[in-house]
Amino acid sequence: MRTRSIKYLYIVLLTGIFASCSNDYLDLDPTNKVPAEAVLSDPNGIRSYMANLYYELPIEDFVYFPRAGFNARGNTGSMSLSQYGLEAIHSEWPNWNQFNNQWWERGYKLNRDINLLEESVAKVEFSDAERAQLEGEIAFLRGYTYFALARRYGGVPLITENQEYTTDWESLRVPRNTEKQTWDFVLQQLDIAIEKLPEDRLSLDETKRRATKWAAAGLKVRAALHAASVAKYWDRAPLSGEAVSANLVGLPAAAASGYYQAVIETSESIMASGKFGLYRPEPGSPEEAAQNYQALFMDPNNALDEVLFMRGYGHAGGPLAHDYDGWNNPSQTGEGFPHTGRTNPVMELIDRYERYDNPGTEAPIVTTTDGQVHEGEFDPSLDYIRYASPEEIFQGKDARFFASIIHSGSLWKGTEIVIQGGVVRPDGSLLSAQGSVEHDGVTYYTYGGENANQYSGYDGTPNKTRTGFLMKKFLDEEARINTWLQSTTDFMDIRYAEVLLSYAEAVVESGQGNTAVATQALNDIRKRAGHTVDIPLTLENVLRERKVELAFENKEYWDLIRRREYHEIFNNYVKTALVPLLDLRGPEPAYIFVRKNVPGAQPNTFPERDYYRGIPGVNNNGLIQNPQH
Amino acid sequence: MKNPDQKRHLHGMWRMAIFAALLALLPIRTHASFSFLPTSGTPSLGVQEQQFVTGTIMDDQGLPLAGANILEKGTNNGVMTDFDGKFSLAVSTGAVLQISYVGFETQEVTIDAGDTTDLQIRMALDSSKLDEVVVVGYGTQKRGNVTSAISTIQAEDIVTTTHSSLAQSLQGKVPGLQIRQQDGEPGSFASSINIRGFGEPLYVIDGIVRDGGVEFQQLNPNDIESVTILKDASAAIYGLNAANGVILVTTKKGKIGKPTFSYSGTVGAQTPTNMPEMSSAAQYLEMYNDAVYFRDGNHFITAEELQKWREGGPGYVSTDWFDETFKDHATQQQHNFSVRGGTEKVDYFVSLGTFNEGGLFRSNDINYNRYNFRSNLGLQLTDNLKAEVMVAGMYGKREYPGGDGFMWTYKGAIISLPNERPFINDDPNYPANIRNQQNPVLMSRDEYAGYTTNENKNFTSSIALNWEVPFIPGLEARASVAYDSRNMFNKNVWKNYTVYSPDLTPQVVNPPRIANAIDDINRLVFQGQLTYDKTLFEDHNINATLVFEQKKYDKKYAYLKREYDFFTTDIVDFAGGLQTNSGSEVEEASMSYIGRFNYDYLGKYMFGFAFRYDGSHRYAPGHRWAYFPTLSAGWRITNERFMEGVDFVDDLKLRASYGEIGENVGDAFQHVLGYSPAPNEGAEFTNGTVTGGLIAPGVINPNFTWVESTIADIGLEGRLFDNKLSFEVDYYSREKTGKLKTREGGLPNTFGGDMPIENLESEITRGFDFLVSHQNRIGEFDYGISVNMNLARTMHKVVDKPEATSSWDRWRYGFPDRWNDFVWGYDRIGQFQDQEAINQGVIHGGNLGNSQLLPGDYIYADVNGDGMITGEDEMPIFRNGTPKLFYGFTLSGAYKNFDLNAVFQGAGLYTMRFNEVFSQMFFNDGNIPAYFHDRWHLADPYDPNSSWVPGRWPANRFANYMQSSYRDSDAWRMKADYLRLKSVELGYTVPSKVSQRFGLDHLRVYVNGHNLLTFADSFVKQFDPEKHEGQYQAGYNYPLMQSFNLGLNVSF
Repeated sequence: MRTRSIKYLYIVLLTGIFASCSNDYLDLDPTNKVPAEAVLSDPNGIRSYMANLYYELPIEDFVYFPRAGFNARGNTGSMSLSQYGLEAIHSEWPNWNQFNNQWWERGYKLNRDINLLEESVAKVEFSDAERAQLEGEIAFLRGYTYFALARRYGGVPLITENQEYTTDWESLRVPRNTEKQTWDFVLQQLDIAIEKLPEDRLSLDETKRRATKWAAAGLKVRAALHAASVAKYWDRAPLSGEAVSANLVGLPAAAASGYYQAVIETSESIMASGKFGLYRPEPGSPEEAAQNYQALFMDPNNALDEVLFMRGYGHAGGPLAHDYDGWNNPSQTGEGFPHTGRTNPVMELIDRYERYDNPGTEAPIVTTTDGQVHEGEFDPSLDYIRYASPEEIFQGKDARFFASIIHSGSLWKGTEIVIQGGVVRPDGSLLSAQGSVEHDGVTYYTYGGENANQYSGYDGTPNKTRTGFLMKKFLDEEARINTWLQSTTDFMDIRYAEVLLSYAEAVVESGQGNTAVATQALNDIRKRAGHTVDIPLTLENVLRERKVELAFENKEYWDLIRRREYHEIFNNYVKTALVPLLDLRGPEPAYIFVRKNVPGAQPNTFPERDYYRGIPGVNNNGLIQNPQH
Repeated sequence: MKNPDQKRHLHGMWRMAIFAALLALLPIRTHASFSFLPTSGTPSLGVQEQQFVTGTIMDDQGLPLAGANILEKGTNNGVMTDFDGKFSLAVSTGAVLQISYVGFETQEVTIDAGDTTDLQIRMALDSSKLDEVVVVGYGTQKRGNVTSAISTIQAEDIVTTTHSSLAQSLQGKVPGLQIRQQDGEPGSFASSINIRGFGEPLYVIDGIVRDGGVEFQQLNPNDIESVTILKDASAAIYGLNAANGVILVTTKKGKIGKPTFSYSGTVGAQTPTNMPEMSSAAQYLEMYNDAVYFRDGNHFITAEELQKWREGGPGYVSTDWFDETFKDHATQQQHNFSVRGGTEKVDYFVSLGTFNEGGLFRSNDINYNRYNFRSNLGLQLTDNLKAEVMVAGMYGKREYPGGDGFMWTYKGAIISLPNERPFINDDPNYPANIRNQQNPVLMSRDEYAGYTTNENKNFTSSIALNWEVPFIPGLEARASVAYDSRNMFNKNVWKNYTVYSPDLTPQVVNPPRIANAIDDINRLVFQGQLTYDKTLFEDHNINATLVFEQKKYDKKYAYLKREYDFFTTDIVDFAGGLQTNSGSEVEEASMSYIGRFNYDYLGKYMFGFAFRYDGSHRYAPGHRWAYFPTLSAGWRITNERFMEGVDFVDDLKLRASYGEIGENVGDAFQHVLGYSPAPNEGAEFTNGTVTGGLIAPGVINPNFTWVESTIADIGLEGRLFDNKLSFEVDYYSREKTGKLKTREGGLPNTFGGDMPIENLESEITRGFDFLVSHQNRIGEFDYGISVNMNLARTMHKVVDKPEATSSWDRWRYGFPDRWNDFVWGYDRIGQFQDQEAINQGVIHGGNLGNSQLLPGDYIYADVNGDGMITGEDEMPIFRNGTPKLFYGFTLSGAYKNFDLNAVFQGAGLYTMRFNEVFSQMFFNDGNIPAYFHDRWHLADPYDPNSSWVPGRWPANRFANYMQSSYRDSDAWRMKADYLRLKSVELGYTVPSKVSQRFGLDHLRVYVNGHNLLTFADSFVKQFDPEKHEGQYQAGYNYPLMQSFNLGLNVSF
């Protein structure tokens, strides 16, 4: 009995080993968080934190799609900003895309992250130089953030200190500042950045990819030009309502001059710095100019002189890569990526490209022998100009056309791109549906090839262009893209050409600044594009040059907004296409071209209220809503 | 590359080897005729004439019953049956033998002179079940004394439905247990299991809270003794996360008797219940042509070409991609082998099971294999001390082609265009580069697409010591330790392959990659328990249990992926390209003090009280511990004097329970301030080098704590007419407070911080369930019918929302005090019959007016009468996709050696809404379902002035041109109520005289079938209304299967 009791005792003790009744049994450490002090006391910690802030920075690049937001990867449809204005249209969704372009919650989240950084930096020991650099970088990030907010929403609450969380909501509500205060704040932050940031960082790469004095200056030029234009052109589309009477949206015309002055002064400082220039400014021929211009966007790292600020993409297959090549390759050279040919340039852009033989004026594509621009469906009674090959019609156009756009007959990745919208039968009837025509023993297919992999346009499927053109700018001609996230082309957010154009615009719009320098700036850009004849500094010349030089760089959309041109153009407006047809009526087959509305495109109208986005969550944040939202 | 035959051969070998190994392990039958001494009484020395009786006692199945009590009525003379169910006893002539065994009706047999030897007595199951022992939290209770809503299903009722998933074997059989099969993919185990509409329940296997539904479903049904469903506050005793109810599984233990060897096996074939019918090439081209025309004003294809497709012929063959990719049926088989027996010292149940299921691809590259083993041992160490050692393991391996899962191949089969072929010119050397680039024929083959294998190893073990404290009768102490381990290894291999355009231009697709994902999970649970069971003053029964429990859980995960420059060998090290990897570790701990007290007076008045005091690592100190009590009571009305005259009522009990349960859910460490790594959200500051990001801490929530549920249940149960009719009805409600929510209301969205989760919202679920069953025997015909039903709805109570901006906003988006099961949509009232009606009609197309509408487009009710159809015309007119009503009925019958069992199961009061291909024409620019061919179209598609031909669907358009017809209406959201014959089984038991000739105690053969009949709306039926919409809510998941099996049960 006794031994048995002892036995039981042992058993009880042994089982007790497995159990522990102490309360610290529940004290576990989190395995998914890093303590704050470990992050901000280490330069690499700050760098990692910065990396995330730059990731969140509202840079409108290859992964910005207004409908899907910033950093939109995956199956976004590739509805890019360029398809919203007069540059292009989407092959699958040729109609007015769901107009969204919101950046409120993430904007204020980034704002809080910046405030937190500022608060923490103040508590950590740094050398004066390091501190100034960090403060400058904070000002740059903050300026960028509020710039993106201001151009979407007008005046917004300026919150520059981290708010402590409380459920006393009222204490957290901050009213909107006026649009004027907001723009002034953006410029003031950028001034701080210009003052405190270094001109160069540890490496040339980092100099171009992180905030510097010159990146801040470049951004200031852009922001000031936007503010100046809104002030000057507000009256083209004046809004009314509570937000307007409280000056939360809208700028007084009188403010324009000051903002233009800021553009001019800041641009001049950049131009005078001697640090920047145009990439290969003096080409020997238009062909060379086209090659140079294409190379500039295929890899900006070869042209760092032109870069004020860029975003790097790396790690094919990894999270920072993008899909610009995949989405936009011509169908014929789609190497296995599931979608192709999405961005289709429209005639509104094509016509802007000058001809070298007639500089200083746009050169609309003429398709009939009468020299007039005819628009409409194929009409057998019209006398179309007949071309032996499809690319002839574009001869003599600006090098940037060939470097930015793929047209019928372009050579791309060693393949001749076939874009054809139909065959005119010998009897003058048009075959435009999938099928073929036998003529003189030869079979002619509607779209220029028997099989879908032999042509790139017009069969009505989303992988083929519906305007006659495809985008070339930014696409890497060397790349072979057969799956997602393979493009690592870096994006120049602010480049020297934009600064020159902004300067020219400010000078011509305000009458301030140096006209001679501005004229030269304009002509320097043209010279780089193979032009040899200088043109005078006129508003029309500057704006046309801007459209052409900065095409597809996501700038035109904002140009239409800030200059209040959107609603005037997009008033039941349908964009136009160029349809190459193979004409069998003559002794030899020839190419003719038809200008017509983009097939499937419906009339678009831009409501004036959309010059500002609606502010989300006004029932919580208590803010005055923008007009008509 | 192994050829498939060889593979199968290896599987066969492996199975044989296991059988052989197991046989070697079995206890040797040395005591073939072990007999027991009489346990009580002494041989009667009365004056009457004595005679010697021998016989065999068998259970209802005809299996020998060891340990049955045989008593000469009115004496102490008795004996117990031996291992073979045999007994011998000397009795007086004319004596009456009382034969009793727990769970069986006591039988009396009069011994006439001459009835001396070899009595064959078959026991009937006790249908009163009052004394049946029910497994409840941390112990057992007599069925009759249960005061809470509990359903139990026993082994024999589970295995009437043979299926790879245990959930499928339970479906339709238990009231309040809502099971819906979501996916039929071999090895996916994607049934949703839900008790009373509460949500995912807790799974407790042999007393230990174990992993979720997927593990539960992979248990070998043949190993299970019983499954108990705790539906009300009685689940509270399992405390942590038991708010949705608990499924308690008890596996078979050894039982005293000779070793019984059992084998059961089934072999069967299965075929999908549904496969969507897609358009033929001519249908597709007609419709695509219409869509292009209505968009571009240009035809897609010429009339001549279209005519050629209608006629077929060389070069114009329509492809049925399903036929090219899938075969008609797949096979499945399972084999289970077990041995069960024991002596006073050792009892054991050991089993081994294998299951194999093939997939539907023609390539035969889908496979699922599972092996289960279990060894439950009971060791009587001393008179008072018993040990239980339970070990179980499971190995499952799932294989399917491609790295990305079935869905993509299936979608490929759905959307691939019928005017393209899988191979160029049908030459297998030239796989086709088809337009959507998802050639399902290639994607369904390992040799092209690569493959995925998914290995799952599960080990569960526990050791328990039970000590009947000798000096305090009724007191029992128990300590147990359970250790479980789970490992998963997932391997994805993507191969590249060359596809060809019709002109034989090659293109290499599918960049080669390889990924391994490794999970390692450990769980350690300790329980210490004291139970005191005592009857005081004869009439007062008390039972008290105290438990201490602590649990630690950790999970480690690693993922590694590499890209190949060119594919060589499917091992990570052979891939030299880009590497990506990720990993995580999770640790959890909890501690609990648990108590339960039950009291009853004469089995008439019953009271119960239970509590838990729980602590969780998840919360900040100070918010970790919480106390959850439960009360219950029962009243057996039939034991009252006033019921004495009511003869037809055998038993009637009213019971009620009320209690609280806590859930420790939501992300842990909400109270800790810290930066989170975001390697995917960094920057490339230096060309070629990515700096990973760190994300700033959001707002912390130091007050984060338990979600609490209060559950009330009132039930009435009874048996009538000599136990022929029994019923059970329950009404219940559950209020859940402190539900987790990331705050939306109040906080200005300029604050900018990521909000933590908070205990903000509440909801209430109410419902009732009932079970009615009837059992009877007419002559040699036994039959039973049982009907069960459960109806439940949930209402929002406290809801975190921004304040409404208008009364309309409140009507549309206000939630408090509203059922949560509404879906808003448009009231579809017709179709525009002609252009005139469109021109005159209410504006359906927003800014563009009705300019883009075509005849056949849907007309909606303009509810607010503003002349426009906008979001303001939506009404709460649909039920959501979750069934509110579940019901089932089972029919069973036995005649002589035949038995028949059928289970019907149904669900109702919900809708189905498919997205993508099935509700949008030309989704992903692909083929469209054949039903869309019944659409409005021009009589001559090439003549815009020809008349319109009406149809069910609007005219063909691409999504962004459809404008209004795609709005949510009953065109797209349909009532999905269904009833289906879930399973039917017909068995024949070979008479023991015959089977014993082969040395078998029991031999039964059966055939069964699953999902044989479905009653549902004829349109909805093609989607299989039981199946969930799956990923993207698009119906791309593996079809549910109709199966036919042949089975065999043997024991010896």
